[in-house]
Amino acid sequence: MSVSVQTSRRATALGPGLVVLGAVLAVVAFLSITMGSRSIGLGEVLRALGSLDDDGSIGSTVTLEMRVPRTLLGILVGAALGVAGAILQGVTRNPLADAGIMGINSGAAAFVVTAVTVLGLRGVEVYIWFAFAGAIAALVLVYAIASLGREGATPVKLALAGAAIAAGFGSLTTGIVMTNVDALNELRFWQVGSLAGRYAPILIGVAPFLIAGLIASLAFGRSLNGLALGEDVARGLGQRVGLTRAAAFGVVALLAGGATAACGPIIFVGLVVPHIARFLCGPDYRWILPYSMLLSPIVLLLADVLGRVVTAPDELQVGVVLGVVGAPVFVGIVRYGRLSEA
Amino acid sequence: MRAWRTVLAVSALSVVLAGCGSSDSSGDTAAAAAGPWSFTDGSGTEVKADKTPTRIIAHAGEAAALMSFGIKPVGIYADESVKTDPNLKSLDLTGIEILGEEWGKIDVEKAAALRPDLIVGDWWPAEKAHSGLEEGVDEKSKKLAELAPVVGVTQGKSILQLAEGYEDLAESLGAKVDDPKIAETKKRFEESVAKFKEAVAAKPGLTVAAMSPADDKVYVANPEYAPELLDFQSFGLKVINPDSPDKGFPYWENLSWENADKYQPDLILWDGRAFTETANAEWGKKQPTWFKIKAAEQGAVVAWPAYWLHTYGDFATELDKLTTAVKAANENIGS
Repeated sequence: MSVSVQTSRRATALGPGLVVLGAVLAVVAFLSITMGSRSIGLGEVLRALGSLDDDGSIGSTVTLEMRVPRTLLGILVGAALGVAGAILQGVTRNPLADAGIMGINSGAAAFVVTAVTVLGLRGVEVYIWFAFAGAIAALVLVYAIASLGREGATPVKLALAGAAIAAGFGSLTTGIVMTNVDALNELRFWQVGSLAGRYAPILIGVAPFLIAGLIASLAFGRSLNGLALGEDVARGLGQRVGLTRAAAFGVVALLAGGATAACGPIIFVGLVVPHIARFLCGPDYRWILPYSMLLSPIVLLLADVLGRVVTAPDELQVGVVLGVVGAPVFVGIVRYGRLSEA
Repeated sequence: MRAWRTVLAVSALSVVLAGCGSSDSSGDTAAAAAGPWSFTDGSGTEVKADKTPTRIIAHAGEAAALMSFGIKPVGIYADESVKTDPNLKSLDLTGIEILGEEWGKIDVEKAAALRPDLIVGDWWPAEKAHSGLEEGVDEKSKKLAELAPVVGVTQGKSILQLAEGYEDLAESLGAKVDDPKIAETKKRFEESVAKFKEAVAAKPGLTVAAMSPADDKVYVANPEYAPELLDFQSFGLKVINPDSPDKGFPYWENLSWENADKYQPDLILWDGRAFTETANAEWGKKQPTWFKIKAAEQGAVVAWPAYWLHTYGDFATELDKLTTAVKAANENIGS
């Protein structure tokens, strides 16, 4: 009885909470468009936004062709990383699961350096597709290896396969960049994790994958709740565990693959934000997923704005800001929060 | 990131001689050929030997400088393929052992087999190390320094100093620096400088900036750490000094793409390591703000021999190309 009362009270607070987060995200997005390493008057920004037409002044070019796509990409990539992290943590029942531990980052990196060395490609707008393919290849391999054997892709086997694949791709990448300076140069740019230098073509390129993945992810709340009780219980509740897991990996491939391809391996967001969401909502994935979806882009955009403002006229990559600011926050959550296991 | 990384390689490539290069050698080549020998290194230390070194291992540009005076090293270590290295690509390297073709990687075992009695690499005052022995080089490669004494000219304020320093070193090693061919090269260089000065003087309003666009940022070179840019300035060319170079890596000021238009030169000196004929158009298409630099929009760009020059001959050739660009430049684009 008390449980059900608590749950319903929670639900009544969590619904409006989502609305509040939505509003916060809107404010942060506004900041991301109006603030940056170049100071542009608010009036000029608003005029550019109002006319939606590049009048040739640098203020409107920066606003419309750089900050707007950057902000939209930040929202999509942030949401994708947060949701992908939440799903991975749920489906593998591993509180440390994120895109890195599943070999996604190293798979993407290996494909990027291969594209640079073997095919001689240059420039982020070309090799994001290789990064995407690499991320998906890594996930498919991890899942296939973990699925060998009668009991299927259990959490332990997934974690081990992920570590093995990450190490394998990692050494491939190292081997290539040791002998090829061009590959190293391209990789260094991509690997920091940044929203800078990504414009409309990249946004338009990855947006369909990310949006499709985000919509699909919302259907996983109930089945992740089932898996959280353990596979046998989930099976007992009539869930087809293998199918759920495969579908969840498919969605993660779209989300984390697309996000990592576009911006490089952005750390922290996918790992920590689901924990914050779990801290706010309790163990119910039907809430954790939408909360992760809104909290993550808030965190990502704030970090990006910070990186753009503190060192102007230079910029810090968002991956660097997240590492510096994020680590103490995570330590604080672990130390003082009621960090619940996935 | 590209520019940043390449700069590291560059810093390895180019440090040269500080003022101390003038050194000692007796000046009498016959005596120098026998010994005892000594040379004041860029670090200020005097390196001595009982006999004049004859089996020399040199870094890429330094090797080119010595070879221009007729001193042929037994081994060379370069930072890239010797077929593309701007200092080496046009030289005949037959009979010379190639000990490395990547920054920070030197085959010390092979080097030891050459029984060298001198290692020649530029001295980098900012890093307090010789080329090939800097921070970041493989520990294994650094053992090169144990094979023989290391000397080099300081990478500092002028390519001229660098060229003169290596002339002194070559002379101490027995080169006949009064060879008519060498005098001819020097004369060609002096003529190139004169033509360059003349072209620059004819365009008193012309300003240039040395730049390197990259995927995440635009880099503006700081002449203070680019000896050839300091030379251009001393020849009268107004090379813009960026007002806030990166503190940790003062070779450049980093501009976010939002601030790409911070400087408006009349002519862009484009990092020669990344320059191609189509680069300007490509960056204009790729980065919304690149063409907000008026010189870029007008196509007023020319390759800049960034951080590699070591010899009078190469400097003359590169100066001639710049003279042509200066003559063609419009000094009112940026203003």
